[in-house]
Amino acid sequence: MGKDILTGIHFLSGNHACVEGAIAAGCRFYAGYPITPSNEVAERASVRLPQVGGIYIQMEDELGSMAALVGASWAGAKPMTATSGPGFSLMQENLGLAVMMEAPCVVVNVQRGSPSTGLPTAVGQADVMQARWGSHGDYEVIAIAPASPQECFDFIIKAFNLAERWRVPVVFLTDESVAHMSERVVIPPREEIIKRLVSRKKPSLPPEKFLPYKPGQDLVPEMPIAGEGYRFHTTGLTHNEKGYPDLSPKAQDKLVRRLVDKIRKNADQIVEYEEFMTEDAEVVLVTFGVSSRICRAVVKRARKAGLKLGMLRLIVVWPFPEKKIAELAGQVKALVSVEINLGQVFLELERIVKERAKVFLIPNAGGEVHDPDKVFEEIKQIV
Amino acid sequence: MKTEIIISGFGGQGVLFLGDLIAYAAVKEGYYVTWVPSYGPESRGGTCNCQVIYSDKQIGSPAIAHPDILIVFNQPSLYKFLPRLKTNGFLFYDSFLIKEPPAREDIKIVGVPAFQLSKMGNMAMLGAFLAVVDQIKSETIFQILEEKLKGDKTKFIPINKEAIATGMDFVKSQER
Repeated sequence: MGKDILTGIHFLSGNHACVEGAIAAGCRFYAGYPITPSNEVAERASVRLPQVGGIYIQMEDELGSMAALVGASWAGAKPMTATSGPGFSLMQENLGLAVMMEAPCVVVNVQRGSPSTGLPTAVGQADVMQARWGSHGDYEVIAIAPASPQECFDFIIKAFNLAERWRVPVVFLTDESVAHMSERVVIPPREEIIKRLVSRKKPSLPPEKFLPYKPGQDLVPEMPIAGEGYRFHTTGLTHNEKGYPDLSPKAQDKLVRRLVDKIRKNADQIVEYEEFMTEDAEVVLVTFGVSSRICRAVVKRARKAGLKLGMLRLIVVWPFPEKKIAELAGQVKALVSVEINLGQVFLELERIVKERAKVFLIPNAGGEVHDPDKVFEEIKQIV
Repeated sequence: MKTEIIISGFGGQGVLFLGDLIAYAAVKEGYYVTWVPSYGPESRGGTCNCQVIYSDKQIGSPAIAHPDILIVFNQPSLYKFLPRLKTNGFLFYDSFLIKEPPAREDIKIVGVPAFQLSKMGNMAMLGAFLAVVDQIKSETIFQILEEKLKGDKTKFIPINKEAIATGMDFVKSQER
């Protein structure tokens, strides 16, 4: 058996760091269909997972990949797949199934230029809304956006923890730039990682008394593993606490409301962001992923020029940090969304800020990251 | 200390590998490093470039607006990136593949007929870079080659080292 946690200093791409982070988090199952720019995830997973006693399956397509994740999750694995725009679209139906069956799993979406085939080898950040609303119906998922290979390692561990804790699919919303960028990645000692790990709640009652979809105080039900003696039905149909289909409006209201509320009402425990020079800022850039690195440079430059600029960097993109945005709205003159799309986080800002501050957008259709010079010029105009 | 390098050429010339070697060597020497590739869907042909930054402080933006060093292996890359090179920056260009001499007087120009000196022109250019810029040790590069080229690939180590030496010798002979 090979080593599962490669403690030490490495020079890794974001994609490779995702795999090392996943293995460190206890992922031993990968099912996927290769697509640029996510291929290096599949490549490294195919080599590394067998070394640590895990399973790598190259599936027939993305529909099957996502279905395999749901099955593996119920079999007790911490499963992962990786894809990009076109493949992520194909995964949406079974991603909804994972939501309905409450199967923890991690889906890495390396965003590229889009729509459709778009720009296979170039950066985009236009799947923000798709990560939230891609499957049909009312539901909530969690999405996390890393900005460096180190964060690909650290945050994918977080992604697995959140998936296990809240029993939802977690979308790891990276982008081509972060995925292909190579940087120094420090993998901490084994004990340090192990004590960070979270696993799903196990049944506290024996099989004859157990109800598979009876939630706890946190709205999350306990989860047995197939083969442990707990026999029940799990389905994409609306179901009752026993897991049996119950197609009444009452059951529908109870179930869908809980699936949504377990994320919305617990958002404070999930939301995570980084504030950079926001204390006295008059204008705050709201950004995520690779764009946050451009913005950080712009903020430093603006400060040197005497402009009171700050940055709010979304680490967890969904659920959206509504409270923080509302707080900033009452404190600053303007919020500026900087993202590699034509306005997606921007819409959320407008929705939450309303009239309390001005909201601007510095868009970019994709293909390359923002030019720091141009962002700086636009910021000067706004200020 | 912060050095920003753009390396550009055709796919297949070893542009990304050259950048990767410099970046990995800088990691070994204790710098903060970022290496960002940019390429099209084709594995050979097409244009391709990579941006390498190494610094003794943490690196913010991985995107380089104005590089300190530009290494180019074809004419389109020269046209594209030369205007962005900093004043007093270094331009390394393949003088075998780029016939038209670069037109800027405020920079230091190092012409190396890399792909004439060696089939591994990228390695010859690396030699020139190591000798002229003198920030990364050649021993670190050799150590990495030995780490990366294992098993059946061990046989490629001597020819890579030889190509690097050719590039170094070339720039030294020009100085005289």
